[in-house]
Amino acid sequence: MPDQSGAAPALIELDAVTKRFGDATAVDAISLAIPRGELCVLVGTSGCGKSTTLRMINRLIEHSSGQIRIDGQQIRDVDEQRLRRRIGYAIQSTGLFPHWTVARNIGLVPRLLRWPAARIAARVSELLALLGLDEDEFAGKYPHQLSGGQAQRVGVARALAADPEILLMDEPFGALDPITRESLQDELLRLQARLHKTIVFVTHDMDEALKLADRLVVMDTGRIVQQGSAAALLQAPANAFVESLLGGRDRGLKHAALTRVAERMRPLTDAQAGGPAVDTLGVSADDSLRQALSLMLWHGVDSLLVSDTQGQVVGSLSLQDAVVERNTRA
Amino acid sequence: MSWLRRSSAPLAWALLLVTLMLLMPRLEEGFRLIAPDARTLIYQRDSFASLVANHLLVVGVASLCAILLGMGAAILVTRPWGRDFLPLVSQLASIGQTFPPVAVLALAVPVLGFGSVPTIVALVLYGLLPIVRNTLVGIQGISPGVMESAHGMGMSGRQILWQVELPLARPVILAGIRTSVTINIATAAIGSTIGARTLGDPIIAGIVNGNTAFILQGAILIALLALCVDSLFERLQ
Ligand SMILES: Nc1ncnc2c1ncn2[C@@H]1O[C@H](COP(=O)(O)OP(=O)(O)OP(=O)(O)O)[C@@H](O)[C@H]1O
Ligand SMILES: [Mg+2]
Repeated sequence: MPDQSGAAPALIELDAVTKRFGDATAVDAISLAIPRGELCVLVGTSGCGKSTTLRMINRLIEHSSGQIRIDGQQIRDVDEQRLRRRIGYAIQSTGLFPHWTVARNIGLVPRLLRWPAARIAARVSELLALLGLDEDEFAGKYPHQLSGGQAQRVGVARALAADPEILLMDEPFGALDPITRESLQDELLRLQARLHKTIVFVTHDMDEALKLADRLVVMDTGRIVQQGSAAALLQAPANAFVESLLGGRDRGLKHAALTRVAERMRPLTDAQAGGPAVDTLGVSADDSLRQALSLMLWHGVDSLLVSDTQGQVVGSLSLQDAVVERNTRA
Repeated sequence: MSWLRRSSAPLAWALLLVTLMLLMPRLEEGFRLIAPDARTLIYQRDSFASLVANHLLVVGVASLCAILLGMGAAILVTRPWGRDFLPLVSQLASIGQTFPPVAVLALAVPVLGFGSVPTIVALVLYGLLPIVRNTLVGIQGISPGVMESAHGMGMSGRQILWQVELPLARPVILAGIRTSVTINIATAAIGSTIGARTLGDPIIAGIVNGNTAFILQGAILIALLALCVDSLFERLQ
């Protein structure tokens, strides 16, 4: 079935899914359809049911009512171990087995699937390379010998080992320092651009959510309050809760962080026609509008030269361009 | 080299044990200094070798049963379907620890009579406790993240038990077995009071006849046996 427009059935479908723990309702009749290849981020305050939702998808928690379907098939009808071996799972604490080497940890699911040893070994090498871990240095190490960022890379490699179509990630970068966290986010986006997995990602870091999400799902007390692209949610939050979660008065900057300079700059000829902007400061076309605004603010200028990846000047960005979206393009 | 010393410790203790066991009669003159008034200086009703062998047999059989039962019970109550019994078993294990071994032995006699069998039963009951407790602690002490990812990766219950829980709990379980076996080597001697043939025999005979030499002979061999087994476990851990 070729997927054209929105007509293709979603890979993961939640249909009025509810989870009760005794009298408490942790997840309350949520419905969600996640298409193939989408990176869907669940956000919300602590205890709103994000992890519960995630863990119902691989049946670590059985849902109380409603339906969860993967590729059209109800997950209740699939053997839970078979189901889980088809779904990658990465968590904040990594859950790496402390008595196994990095290589053995990564090869876990392929081994459960009884791949031949040579194929497992080749796959482990491939994944170590994919996640930027030097094989000679890391394959034989034990988890306690790794830094937090390295351990999390190994955790992601393990989740990807059997090339699952779906990846569930529960605050995978939650325990890392901001710099490591950001580099792993970039890594994830780079991987996703190559692998096109269907990812459900839980976080309560809003910048992380805005950066990663194809679709942002905001949850509150077990319900979905709003879902859509990051830009759409920033532009039109459904209520005060979503608005404050998205950063309240910082929303403008968060939105600017999602926009590339290239989208707002004036191409070179245009800029020259509009008069010379005497200014040696520059940004890259791939930088975010937020970075450009920050530069202007810091240096007290109202326009910047824009260069491409080769360092060639390709246009300029004025404060006016950055702040007000032009409706017409030259 | 400390490694050499450590790894050869069990062998050294074993060698000392066998030597003393076989050469005890030659030490008659030495024991005369301790018990100058005794008529016989060396315990003779049984050879020391056969007492050591029998002592080891009683302890070995009891420990094997205790390990199987204790680990089995602890594993059962940590499975999803056995979890209802977890509070009961862990409470029994901690209460049982406070029970003196002599009392267990005394209680076994009216039920099972005299001889090796009631001794073994008493040793099993007493030796169970540290094993159950440590197996529980070892399994429950595994980080929740490790268990969550083991399940999340699609391992079966059996795979999780053999590949994750038991290897990770191993040091703690071994410590429990070590405690159990070491205690039982000493406790088995009390079995002599109810008719089991163990290294407790010379001690009892010594007490009854006021012969310090006999007591010493039994005690030394028991101590060496315990040291030998204990150092063996130290190596395993
Ligand atoms: N096994 C359980 N038994 C009882 N209640 C549970 C259980 N697991 C979760 N809950 C409850 O369900 C609710 C949702 O929990 P969940 O872990 O999904 O929250 P979360 O959104 O992931 O929060 P956080 O951001 O803190 O991780 C909470 O109120 C929690 O107390
Ligand atoms: Mg959570």
